Amino acid sequence: MVNATKGLFVSCDIPMAQFIINYNNTLPPSQQFIIHVLDSTHLFVQPHAAEMIRSAISEFRDQNSYEKPT
Amino acid sequence: MGHGDKGRPSKKLKFSAKEITHLDDEDAYFGGEDIDEDVRDGEGKKRDFTKLELKPDHINRPLWACADGRIFLETFSPLYKQAYDFLIAIAEPVCRPESMHEYNLTPHSLYAAVSVGLETETIISVLNKLSKTKLPKEMIDFIHGSTANYGKVKLVLKKNRYLVESPFPEVLKTLLKDEVISKSRIISEGSRGSDGFTISKTMGEIGAGPSDLLNEAELAAAAEEKETHAFEVDPTQVENVKERCLPNALNYPMLEEYDFRNDTVNPDLDMELKPQAQPRPYQEKSLSKMFGNGRARSGIIVLPCGAGKSLVGVSAASRIRKSCLCLATNAVSVDQWAFQFKLWSTIRDEQICRFTSDSKERFRGNAGVVVTTYNMVAFGGKRSEESEKIIEEIRNREWGLLLMDEVHVVPAQMFRKVISLTKSHCKLGLTATLVREDERITDLNFLIGPKLYEANWLDLVKGGFIANVQCAEVWCPMTKEFFAQYLKKENSKKKQALYVMNPNKFRACEFLIRFHEQQRGDKIIVFADNLFALVEYAMKLRKPMIYGATSHVERTKILEAFKTSRDVNTIFLSKVGDNSIDIPEANVIIQISSHAGSRRQEAQRLGRILRAKGKLQDRMAGGKEEYNAFFYSLVSMDTQEMYYSTKRQQFLIDQGYSFKVITGLPPPDSGPELNYHSLDDQLALLTKVLSAGDEAVGLEQLEEDADDIALHKARRFGGSMSAMSGANGMVYMEYSTGRHKLGKGQMKSKPKDPAKRHHLFKRRFG
Repeated sequence: MVNATKGLFVSCDIPMAQFIINYNNTLPPSQQFIIHVLDSTHLFVQPHAAEMIRSAISEFRDQNSYEKPT
Repeated sequence: MGHGDKGRPSKKLKFSAKEITHLDDEDAYFGGEDIDEDVRDGEGKKRDFTKLELKPDHINRPLWACADGRIFLETFSPLYKQAYDFLIAIAEPVCRPESMHEYNLTPHSLYAAVSVGLETETIISVLNKLSKTKLPKEMIDFIHGSTANYGKVKLVLKKNRYLVESPFPEVLKTLLKDEVISKSRIISEGSRGSDGFTISKTMGEIGAGPSDLLNEAELAAAAEEKETHAFEVDPTQVENVKERCLPNALNYPMLEEYDFRNDTVNPDLDMELKPQAQPRPYQEKSLSKMFGNGRARSGIIVLPCGAGKSLVGVSAASRIRKSCLCLATNAVSVDQWAFQFKLWSTIRDEQICRFTSDSKERFRGNAGVVVTTYNMVAFGGKRSEESEKIIEEIRNREWGLLLMDEVHVVPAQMFRKVISLTKSHCKLGLTATLVREDERITDLNFLIGPKLYEANWLDLVKGGFIANVQCAEVWCPMTKEFFAQYLKKENSKKKQALYVMNPNKFRACEFLIRFHEQQRGDKIIVFADNLFALVEYAMKLRKPMIYGATSHVERTKILEAFKTSRDVNTIFLSKVGDNSIDIPEANVIIQISSHAGSRRQEAQRLGRILRAKGKLQDRMAGGKEEYNAFFYSLVSMDTQEMYYSTKRQQFLIDQGYSFKVITGLPPPDSGPELNYHSLDDQLALLTKVLSAGDEAVGLEQLEEDADDIALHKARRFGGSMSAMSGANGMVYMEYSTGRHKLGKGQMKSKPKDPAKRHHLFKRRFG
């Protein structure tokens, strides 16, 4: 029996996939959004998660970039 | 220079506070720095300059002056050279890229200007001449305000009498109204003049002013002979008089000058520069600032590493020709200074001596040069009998020149101690990087003296005096397994080890070493602050390494092999190699890990390869080789290292360097010839990193310069040698202050406990 699930196909580089997986694991089970890890650069996630992932990534990136004061 | 938008500082603040809780040792200070975000920040992009009035012939004038004290200089202007010499004297350089420089007028910089002999009116008129716009009133007021009292009074040591000199008798009268000062005055019989001041003529400034620019009336006035009024003070009261004149009391800060030619009491030292020692133009210029009016001024000279700071020091010593005390940071540089003295000057072997734990020499005769370390002089506890005698001699002697190398590394407290212990007529500080993360630089202004000269790096590169370095940041992607571990909360203490040991980084490093060794025949230094990584890399690649625990003998041996042997082309250095280890042969630096965001460390490391190599004509612009030195910084992508790396580069970027980003190293087609190709190897490495203790993968606890003080202490207390020698305090000083501000909570995670700290610094951390 084939089940169709609507979801979002995420394609990214290896470290970012790890970041998303790690982020997913820190959430309580009810909020976890990854449906399937396809391979090291592709993920299948729930459709509503896109914004959440984006903001998590952009926060992470902000932490790692330096802006010169003044 | 982008001005950040308003929203940013608060966000940064949040970030830094959060970071600190889960990061170990590296980011402690930037919290503090971010809080003191420049107040100008808010004005940002909205500033409107349309009201500034352009002069009709503005095209011929090289600079823009803004009301808030900032000055922008066009380096393509035909007047650039003269304008630069002038600006460097009166303002602080902020950023000096290729075609536009930014300067900032500060009270300190104006103080320095006054002390090299520029007068308020001269500063304003020259500035006005050079500016494209009419000078804003605020700026004129600011200059007046800051220079009103500076430089009006000089403390001169003449024939061993302390004289308070001033061209303005009314200032002296004000001073004498003060009780302390009037008490310490000595009234001599021979005084003339209605006020009883001694009046004498002094030589005008020679070469110190912007003479080539100001060849008109103003300069003529400046160079004219001037009447000077003076009164004598009691030598025992000099300290008190000086203190009364500081800004918090009478506010007439004194400039100290040493009339060494007329000093007949201290014996002359028979030394001269050898004829082959030809100071370069910028070295001449810096010396002329120091000896502008035939006397020696105290101050700091800033030259890039490799630009010949030692020659400046030796020239200054041989011009003063009195006993000289030279202070360096560690035993290796003591040896190098002693060598430099012998190389450039005609000093005889028995007139120069080194005073370290290993060699306690004494000079014969009544004048000479002593080279020692800050630690040796400032140490307050019990010493061996032999060194006690020598230190006694150092204390009792009157030194003509106190020469201080690498002034930026030494904390103010230590300076106070050294300066109060030794009696010197003139102090000269040398450094390449006058930046510190903890803003303790300003102390130096009062402890040593103002900044006398600062060279522009890019001009020196163009002149072929220092190497033209290609700076590159190599971005190495994290491997999947390492990044997964990096993100885990329980590994927060191992983050640094994980991004440093990233197999892709290792492979990039190996690739670069091979490329430069085999294709170009270069000599390579690899820097790693992280001791665990240093050992792992060096063992795996079978290269020699030097770190804190390496003995002086072994260090010398490895460096010697690196210099001479054709088989040793790469060495691994921990941060012991940051300062003053002189390795002129090296022309490639690969940096695999670094101490958080220290701008100074980055610049000092670059300095290791700045010494110019090869033929001059090849180095000049348009020569055969565009770049002859390479500086690679390996950075693991998506980690904190990216943040630090950008921050570290700021100083060099302000000097006009640009960093090229390289991705795709090692090339994708490289296979098992580089280590850690297979997943199994990578996983084994990962296990090793994870199983190592938190302490082991942390930063190196530096054991520096094990002099007899350290040995002494270790015997008596059995504590860690590095902590006892004071090396910890010295090296970690700048990172620790920020943490301290944030409260004691973080102190717990620190690997060294305050009890082990050298007692000199205990009080500071309280």
